[in-house]
Amino acid sequence: MSWYSDVCSSAFRRTGRSTSARSSLCVSRGRGRAFRCFGPAKAGTPWALGLLLISASAHAKIDFARDVRPILNANCTACHGGVKEAGEVSFIYREQALGRGESGKRIIVPGDPAASEMMVRILSTDPDEVMPKPEHGPALAAEEVATIRQWIEEGAEWGEHWSFVAPKESAAPVVKDTQWPRNDIDRFLLARMESEGIKPSKEADKAALLRRVSLDLTGLPPSVEELDAFLADAAPDAYDKQVNRLLDSPRFGERWASVWMDLARYADSEGLGIDKRRDVWKYRDWLVSSFNKDLPYDRFTVEQLAGDLIPNATLDQRIATTFHRLTQANNEGGTDDEEFRVAAVMDRVATTWEVWQGVTMSCVQCHSHPYDPIRHEEYFSFMAYFNQAVDNDVPENHPLLRVPLDPAKYAEAGTLQSRITSLEEGVFQRRTSLASRTAWLPTAGMSGSSTKSKMEVVKHDGVEEFRTIGNVAAGAVHTLDIPKPAGLASLSAFRVEVRPVDEEKASHTPEWGAMLNKIRLQLVAADGSATEVPLAEIVADEAHPIFDPNQSLKGSNRGWGQYTKIFKPRHAIVLLKEALAIPDGAKLRVILAHATDSAGGAYPLIAKRGRIALTGEPGWITPDLEIDRMKAELAATRKSLAAIPSTTTPVIRDLPPEHARDTRLFVRGNWLDKGELIKASGTPEVFPPLVEEEGKPARLAMAEWIGSPRNPLTARVAVNRFWLELFGVGIVPTPEDFGSAGEKPTHPELIDTLAVRFQGEMKWSMKSLLRELVTSAAYRQDGTISPALAARDADNRLVARGPRQRLTAEMTRDHALAAGGLIAHRDGGPPVHPPLPEGVWRPFDGGDKWTTPPPGQADRYRRSVHVYWKRSIPYPALATFDAPTRELCSKRRILSNTPLQALVVLNDPAFHECAQGLARRMKFGAAGDLDARLSLGYRLATSRVVTPDRLAELRGLFLKLEKDYAADPALMKGIAGTPDGAAFTVVGSVLLNLDEALIR
Amino acid sequence: MLQHLQNEKLHHITRRRFLRDCPTGLGAMWLASQGLAAGAGKLKISHDPSAPLAPLLPSFAPKAKRVIFLHMDGAPSQLELFDYKPQLVKYNGKECPPEYLEGQRFAFIQGVPKMLGPQFSFKQHGQSGAWISDRLPELAKHADKLCFIKTMQTDQFNHGPAQLLLHTGHQNLGYPAMGSWLSWGLGTDNQNLPGFMVLISGGRFPRAGASLWGSGFLPSVYQGVQCRSAGDPVLNTTNPAGISREIRRAALDSLAKLNSKAHQDFGDPETITRIAQYEMAYRMQVSVPEVMSIKDEPPEIHAMYGTQPGKDSFANNCLLARRLAEAGTRFIQLFDWGWDSHGSSAAESLGDGFVKKCRDIDKPISALLTDLEQRGMLEDTLVVWGGEFGRTPMQENRGGGDGNRFTGRDHNPNAFTIWMAGGGVKPGLTYGETDEMGYHVASDPVHLRDLHSTMLHLFGFESQRLAYSFQGLDQKLTGVKPAKVVKGILA
Repeated sequence: MSWYSDVCSSAFRRTGRSTSARSSLCVSRGRGRAFRCFGPAKAGTPWALGLLLISASAHAKIDFARDVRPILNANCTACHGGVKEAGEVSFIYREQALGRGESGKRIIVPGDPAASEMMVRILSTDPDEVMPKPEHGPALAAEEVATIRQWIEEGAEWGEHWSFVAPKESAAPVVKDTQWPRNDIDRFLLARMESEGIKPSKEADKAALLRRVSLDLTGLPPSVEELDAFLADAAPDAYDKQVNRLLDSPRFGERWASVWMDLARYADSEGLGIDKRRDVWKYRDWLVSSFNKDLPYDRFTVEQLAGDLIPNATLDQRIATTFHRLTQANNEGGTDDEEFRVAAVMDRVATTWEVWQGVTMSCVQCHSHPYDPIRHEEYFSFMAYFNQAVDNDVPENHPLLRVPLDPAKYAEAGTLQSRITSLEEGVFQRRTSLASRTAWLPTAGMSGSSTKSKMEVVKHDGVEEFRTIGNVAAGAVHTLDIPKPAGLASLSAFRVEVRPVDEEKASHTPEWGAMLNKIRLQLVAADGSATEVPLAEIVADEAHPIFDPNQSLKGSNRGWGQYTKIFKPRHAIVLLKEALAIPDGAKLRVILAHATDSAGGAYPLIAKRGRIALTGEPGWITPDLEIDRMKAELAATRKSLAAIPSTTTPVIRDLPPEHARDTRLFVRGNWLDKGELIKASGTPEVFPPLVEEEGKPARLAMAEWIGSPRNPLTARVAVNRFWLELFGVGIVPTPEDFGSAGEKPTHPELIDTLAVRFQGEMKWSMKSLLRELVTSAAYRQDGTISPALAARDADNRLVARGPRQRLTAEMTRDHALAAGGLIAHRDGGPPVHPPLPEGVWRPFDGGDKWTTPPPGQADRYRRSVHVYWKRSIPYPALATFDAPTRELCSKRRILSNTPLQALVVLNDPAFHECAQGLARRMKFGAAGDLDARLSLGYRLATSRVVTPDRLAELRGLFLKLEKDYAADPALMKGIAGTPDGAAFTVVGSVLLNLDEALIR
Repeated sequence: MLQHLQNEKLHHITRRRFLRDCPTGLGAMWLASQGLAAGAGKLKISHDPSAPLAPLLPSFAPKAKRVIFLHMDGAPSQLELFDYKPQLVKYNGKECPPEYLEGQRFAFIQGVPKMLGPQFSFKQHGQSGAWISDRLPELAKHADKLCFIKTMQTDQFNHGPAQLLLHTGHQNLGYPAMGSWLSWGLGTDNQNLPGFMVLISGGRFPRAGASLWGSGFLPSVYQGVQCRSAGDPVLNTTNPAGISREIRRAALDSLAKLNSKAHQDFGDPETITRIAQYEMAYRMQVSVPEVMSIKDEPPEIHAMYGTQPGKDSFANNCLLARRLAEAGTRFIQLFDWGWDSHGSSAAESLGDGFVKKCRDIDKPISALLTDLEQRGMLEDTLVVWGGEFGRTPMQENRGGGDGNRFTGRDHNPNAFTIWMAGGGVKPGLTYGETDEMGYHVASDPVHLRDLHSTMLHLFGFESQRLAYSFQGLDQKLTGVKPAKVVKGILA
């Protein structure tokens, strides 16, 4: 390998022209150790890694997506793209690129480069004319110009970006070495290696392999017994049996739940502002059990995005929707609930696209996508799927689902809940039906006053309504005096209607609503004396109100009203206990006492505009046996449900259609600046269309569209994610960006073939996919990095060696607990609070306690997947090992290697406890001499059999320490009772800190 | 042996990174051949993975080498400290004019509030004639060192998002703090200490928590390291009971030998990095407690700052800030809780809690400025003082009445005062003017992103070029909107 060629290859890796960063906008290079493979390297030269990925003139016919789009992205789209269309020129869509710019000249004339203004400008030597402008970037390289010219000559055919077109299965390539491959994955990888003139590595030794696959599949190291059994098993399928055992282990789901929890931004607290505790752990249990029972990925997808809309949804399917309730909430005083409701909805859009599609949809919230053909409006059409969710950033976190602590009770609770829902619906339907048959008399001559604001009564469209004037304050009491209407002899019910001040605007940008602490009715005689009229019931205008409206009969800040925003006129019907005869000359007085508290401590919830209507309809006061029966059953069912010991989890539920919110485009992404009305929800046009089915809820159809084999991205993104977890780098090295600004796959046919097989032959089984990956010869390779390979392919993109990855944050802690013999397993359950260094826990919300169980109790040693995850105070040991805080969807952890990590494993009290555990296992758990004990310790920490030189080093250290401690017994205080115990502890700590103990 | 490993590692890196990092020679030739001028586009910042905090040079000569950022958590009232408004004295107790209420969002004010005059008396100080109230008599003596910006503006008026915007340039969580950007871009001078250290006083964490010193998408080695007054000064720097420094040394020697065997077996360059990190950890165990222990400071220093060793106080943190600055820390971030003077309780009122808070900070900040100056460090240390937003000229009236039980002001994102001193800013300057009530900016607005841009400029960076690719975007501290360097305050 010549010095020169080596230098060049690294240069091209770093800044291959086609993807080099532009000045100001949006070029992704992904994160971390990026190197690029699109250089103008010559095929066949052995030094250039990128050669199978090279583009341009090597191909007979130009392919737009492969050859031209990268040149445009790197050089043109910053000014002529989805964000900026300088000179009315954009290269995102063909029809635009073939049109005329501001100058009136045709930008691209298919078949005629000379007539194409694009070509003219690229070739111009006039600094005022040439493109790219000299101050924006260099002129195009000759081969790039040639590529564009040839492409225009060939008709300037457009083609979609590779990942936006459905994947196709390819036959595995023919390889020279037919011995090495174990499955087709290997044939694809080997073909590439052979073309580059390199050979795969030998198979890893059995112990290393079992360690790797155990940690990868279950997040835990193999036990000594498991190692021994595997080493003793000479059968040809010995490894396959281990893989099956690991896939069947209950620990499998815990490991993969941890991976998914990063994507789901799972945390046990709300984030932002106060960051108070939020019970969501039943969703985590759902994840663990879904992985364990191998819920197919398509169903796994649909249930999380729309489980609530699946016909006859089970409790489990509704728990799955907690996925999108893991968005942050802001309950800091004085925050606008609508602002943070909208923020959560937008996060749902971004997260859905990032998790399942690998597309940076958040780029599109302010403008069209800078590179990919997704229009600004399309963001909001997609947002419309999520904009009808009931939740609205209030501290109660509603809607909440009651979930039995014992999963065995799920079915029973699910049945009871469905019954409650349908009974509530039944009562509501009967009430609605009567309401529509009722003749409602408007008021005439109403007068009004209020305690904390000025009030007037005006006519609007011929109907009287009260309006407050100026600012309002909490606890205001409106008094409305209504003369006896003509033709109303007696009163059976009245309707209180609250309207937004600006109805048109409120339909998309709501106002603060009104909460009524108490609704009263008085009969005011001609002499002015008032008599209280007994009221029977308050009937809301929705079947499932958050709070019981009847609380507003007794007096409560959480009774009937709009909590906390009002989008549309809302009403309640108030029923009298018995018909009220209204004498001539008497008046009715409706008293609306508002909640004495304010939303977020700041915004008073006061009716600023409203109407009263009256009726004598006897149906409201005559007994309705059917309603009584339903109410009785409802009460009994609620009681049965309440008797099941439960927790809650926030879930997604949509507003009833009559209360639906309007979705509008946000001008430049600003939620306060609303643009055009979005008429229907929809998916971006560049993807295969969503086929609507009559009667299927829109969000469910969208979820099925994502989880469908016709979606070009879902299976690819999923396959890539599993690959990344096992191999350390994805086939697409930027798992967060499958768009045209992301990196291209190193093995395009492989990822596509795996994607097609995952959704077809494997029926979306995640376990089948993982089995296929870990049983490949590629995965089973030795992880040694030879100097040649290190120089050639430091990131192991060709997979010519086995993966050698540092343990994840969760594995680091779980591994130490396992090696120390402390780990305590449990299936599911609420978060745990393992030892935490002094002074770390200072939550803003003082009620959020961290109480660590004493040594010896199982909850002290649970796996990290169960550790209480507070966004503002991350568990230090996990955060130090690169666990994200999970405020937002996190697609990839970038591993670091820092002194703080060393300090955690050396000194963190929880890790020290593990070292002590390991010491006990060495001292008491092994027979034989010192060497035998130290060998056991080494094996527990690394899964390997100790080599003589290492054993000598450990023995030397042990003997020195034992001597030192014996010579100075005072030193042993706090570590052990005997010199050898102290020495074993320090050696145990060394073992846990070994490089080999920290990798898998 | 370590040396040998280091060399081997360097060899690796050299081969892999020669071109991408090398500003001259072949690398530059290649860039030139590609037509890429060195001055355009995003900076290429790359670190030796085994020494990720090693110092790097910025793009142009910096004026400042380190930051001491004094964040008064909760947002102190500029109207009681620096922004003197005689008109507000006149309007005291009168109903707020409607033009001040229309279209405004408040955190807690309801109905029609009353205007609230300055609660303390003001005087002009120094040759510059800066207005400073009688609450900060010691600081007033340094008036001619300070550069006031009276017209700071932010987009957020709730504490959490506003603090995030101030420290990370974004109101949402998940972005790197200023200190992370700078220690990523510049490394730090002392390889035995983290480059970005955080000190907290006032008895509570800031609202937005550890995200205010998180590294976001930058590697976690650039995140702020919180120094603590109780327990270990930095988490896990103390050995467990029974493990002396000698025993730890022996253990680490064995560990290094065993790990170098692992490197021989597997050839993983990360193993060499790991060996180096364990050595740095060992050094940090000495250097951190050393720098964090103030008990050996001379009595006159303690007297000047008003420090008491072992106490959780802002004064102690100011002295620690100086010690960290001296030791070569790049970014020293202080948070002092308790400035949210709504008037909802005695502690959160202008008449009581605010007065005490002023007393807590006046002497220590003055001592810090004096101390930095006498050590010749003020000229290249940028000291920044401020809150996350300002406060309203109206008296807060929760529930819409005449006022709260105590006197206080609501949040005001439209205009607030910060000051800077040292490192490249003009001393004795007041920049920008607010309207006659101190509610809005009248001239020369400075948005937070302009502040960020100006700070980066002082450290030798253009804010547009200190960028990191993440999620399809060249991410910057100043975000996607244009940010300007406030030239008027540069020395």
